Amino acid sequence: MSIFQLVCVWCCMSTSQAVFAGWMEIPNNTATDEARSQAEDAVLAELVDQYAGALYRVAFSVLRNPADAEDAVQETYLRVLRHRDTLNEVRDYRVWLVRIVWNIVLDRKRRAKTRPETDDVAELARVLPSNGLSAEQVAAAAQHHAHVLGCVNQLPAKEREVLQLSAFEELSSVEIASVLGITESSVRSRLFRARNLMAGLLNHRRSLR
Amino acid sequence: MKSDIEKLMNGDSAFSGASREAEETLRLIAGLPAPKGLEDRVHMALRAAPRRGRVLAWREPLTRRNSWLRAAAAAAIAFAVAGGGWSVYLQVQPRQPAAKVVPLAPHPATTGGFDGASAMRTPQTLNGPVLTHAVKPHLMTSKNAKKSSASASQQPNEGKKAETQAAISPAK
Repeated sequence: MSIFQLVCVWCCMSTSQAVFAGWMEIPNNTATDEARSQAEDAVLAELVDQYAGALYRVAFSVLRNPADAEDAVQETYLRVLRHRDTLNEVRDYRVWLVRIVWNIVLDRKRRAKTRPETDDVAELARVLPSNGLSAEQVAAAAQHHAHVLGCVNQLPAKEREVLQLSAFEELSSVEIASVLGITESSVRSRLFRARNLMAGLLNHRRSLR
Repeated sequence: MKSDIEKLMNGDSAFSGASREAEETLRLIAGLPAPKGLEDRVHMALRAAPRRGRVLAWREPLTRRNSWLRAAAAAAIAFAVAGGGWSVYLQVQPRQPAAKVVPLAPHPATTGGFDGASAMRTPQTLNGPVLTHAVKPHLMTSKNAKKSSASASQQPNEGKKAETQAAISPAK
């Protein structure tokens, strides 16, 4: 039997399953469906209330743009809504959501490479907290952070990702490994390399001044 | 939860200067609060999103209770479709005519046109004839070759002898 015939049979089977799902619907199932849908909505609402802030911070740490970060969070929950049938199979919602938002954010970052970097000092000065600092001090701090972030951007992608995720207090090395799909020992070694490289880059920049 | 990474970061004092700055900056950014009303906006976006955005809308998820009936129905449909397709394929398939020899009429000799230029067909002899029965190989050794050459050289003398005998015999 050729591949074309197999594909045809598969299509017929899926279509027929969908058709029969409609034909053979038992009236009692509507109540079950509604109950299930309400339960899923409740779980989704709980996930939004609980993790939206954390997801925003993850998104912002990579995109460094409030609007883009919020878009990424919304897209994350829309994806969850699309796959809400599988919600009961998820073991750790936090890691699962962070992984989704991380993939979305990396995808956006990749696509937006042609755009100029948004790590400008003014944006950082506006976003970063100024705890009783003068305007000059805030500007100097923003400049310093922008300089550091410039060095972070120069790191290789693997090391940079681990370094960025390690900055989140709520993520352990095991969870970072789960988000990135690598082993915990890889997380440690990448983190070590990232710190080495960062130290080298920052010292090099200092020596140039 | 965070202890293993912190141990790794704080363990080496060589990095503590420059790399800690980077850590602090990243932690500062990672600790930024989410904008107010983010959750509400996400809720609104979820409410506005289409619930069934799929091509094939599944009324209910497949469970063991109802999956066998659906599978049987799907198999029946697939069997009917595959059988119909096969029968159509068989009917549409062009029938191969049975091989038969059609004697061609001899080509009339017409004047004009192309001529064979009195070319003769050369038989294909590259493979050579195939022997149907075993034949004793005729080996010509050096001794035989000498004998044959000697006999060839003696033949003129024998001819002379015969001539003399013929001349003598009438005299007798």
